[in-house]
Amino acid sequence: MAAEPKLSHTAAMILQAIHAGHVYGFSVMEMTGLPSGTVYPAMRRLERDDLIISRWEQQSIADAEQRPPRKYYKLTRSGRTTLEAMHKRYPLLARLIPSPEVENA
Amino acid sequence: MKIRSFVHSFPISLAIIRTAAIFVPGQQRLEWLAEWKSELWHVWQACKDESHNCLHDKEEVTAFCLGAFKDALWLRRNDLNATQHRAFRLGSPSRCGFFLAILAAMSMMLALYLPGARKAILLSPYQDAHHLVMISHDANLWAPYPTIRLDDYQSWTHTTHRLFTGIAFYQPILKRVRVTRHQTAELSIGRASDNLFELLQIPIAQNVSNPTRNDSTAALVLSHAAWHKYFGDDPQIVGHILDVAGQRTRIVGILPDDSWQLPGQMDAWLLEDPQQLASLPSHSKGFVLGHIRPSAFYASTDGQWHMTVVEKSGRSERYDCVSLAEQSQGTFSVFVFALFLACLSLPATTSLPLGEYPVHKDHLPWATRIRRWIFLLTKIGLIVPIAYYGSVALAHWNPAMNPASSQYIQLGTSFLMFLFGFRWALRDQRKRCPVCLRLLTNPARVGQSSRNFLAWNGTELICVGGHGLLHVPDISTSWFSTQRWLYLDPSWSSLFSDASLGML
Repeated sequence: MAAEPKLSHTAAMILQAIHAGHVYGFSVMEMTGLPSGTVYPAMRRLERDDLIISRWEQQSIADAEQRPPRKYYKLTRSGRTTLEAMHKRYPLLARLIPSPEVENA
Repeated sequence: MKIRSFVHSFPISLAIIRTAAIFVPGQQRLEWLAEWKSELWHVWQACKDESHNCLHDKEEVTAFCLGAFKDALWLRRNDLNATQHRAFRLGSPSRCGFFLAILAAMSMMLALYLPGARKAILLSPYQDAHHLVMISHDANLWAPYPTIRLDDYQSWTHTTHRLFTGIAFYQPILKRVRVTRHQTAELSIGRASDNLFELLQIPIAQNVSNPTRNDSTAALVLSHAAWHKYFGDDPQIVGHILDVAGQRTRIVGILPDDSWQLPGQMDAWLLEDPQQLASLPSHSKGFVLGHIRPSAFYASTDGQWHMTVVEKSGRSERYDCVSLAEQSQGTFSVFVFALFLACLSLPATTSLPLGEYPVHKDHLPWATRIRRWIFLLTKIGLIVPIAYYGSVALAHWNPAMNPASSQYIQLGTSFLMFLFGFRWALRDQRKRCPVCLRLLTNPARVGQSSRNFLAWNGTELICVGGHGLLHVPDISTSWFSTQRWLYLDPSWSSLFSDASLGML
């Protein structure tokens, strides 16, 4: 079995924020309180490690809402697995940024 | 005022984002710029929606914009895909060679751009410069003041036919010239014998002794600079009559650029026949040029001959004849002398050995071993033109400077450039990995001076490519006199995460 990647608390927090539905760069920054110079490089690292993937949303959606298209991020399968492992390591993570299923429960 | 609150308009924010995008590696720039712009729009929207705390919002926008610079710098530092830039990372041999080549090219261009330096570097424009000599009292080709009296020149025109095929005279003077109907200017005029340009084999002279010119008007040859400055490059200027301090002269030609490389900065040359020259005071002094008969002089290696003239009073006078070819060879001679002095002085400033490099048990490829020496020779080979052209440019920065002073300046600067350039080349070479030629990093102190007899103490440097360690002793001992390289075998490679650097 491949070793799970070791993440810093910051990276784990970003992963948790994306899992919680804050799928845009700015919303991750808002949720975590981290500056852009930290969030974007961290997200690039997570993307490089295949923990998250990024996609540009369709132009038609952006046109309908009269705004520029945004790049959104979502967790990959290994990202979810890693996040579960991170919850064990950082137990307060889920309480800091609650995910929708936890909130609805 | 906080810097974070100054970004309060969307165009300024956008401009900052675009500026940050410049630092992003090219292949990722558009993608990042698009994402930043998109997110910036949402940051602004969020600030509009939550306009209750204006200062906080401005700070948030500014933080986002300035954060883009952090992103860009992070991307640049971690740009692993840009393989074409790898060779130019700090300390790489390619980068070192590139900068030296740029420096050499810049110093050469500077030397060729400066008129004085260009004259000193380029070969003599005179076709038979080896047989053209400047006759003077002090063997100084660049003497700023004339030394030959007019009556001596006049007597030599009759008495030196066995020595010279021809001799010419010129005397720099300042004359007020009426350049236009309403404008006069003080020009530096070379009052010269009418065979001056014929002797120098400059084509302009052919027009001067035109037999159809039967008036008493003296011929005037303009320098290219004066033609440009005072006559606006007028192509019809030849044939015009000019008033030179009350004397009528006819412009017979323009001297091409760089054709005059003799003492005296001239705006024009006033060519006078022997009768007109004879009207000058006999004791007035000028420069005398001669074209020697090779059969009359013994072969000289340094381009200098001596001439003894018995004057009417019975007193013999000795003159020196210096070949005009020496003019262009002068800077080269100084350069060679400075190079010789620097090579002699180099061991006093740094040790010459490059260190001990044991035979690698895995046998380094022949090309890798020879590359190290090629790199050292390349550095030295590039330092030589940097020092030569740089010193010539400094020495001839001011064309009006005394030529002797220029020579001393060239000697001093080229010596220092050679000495410290070679010293740097050797020291730089010693700090490089013999395999990848990159500068060694992470210096660490090893050992203690008090335990010098038990173990070595000094500095240990490491190759980031994992090729080995360099041990530089603080104190030379009989068993550890010079720096020593230690090759690392591949089992160490796991310690060097960035092993790709080692492939450079």
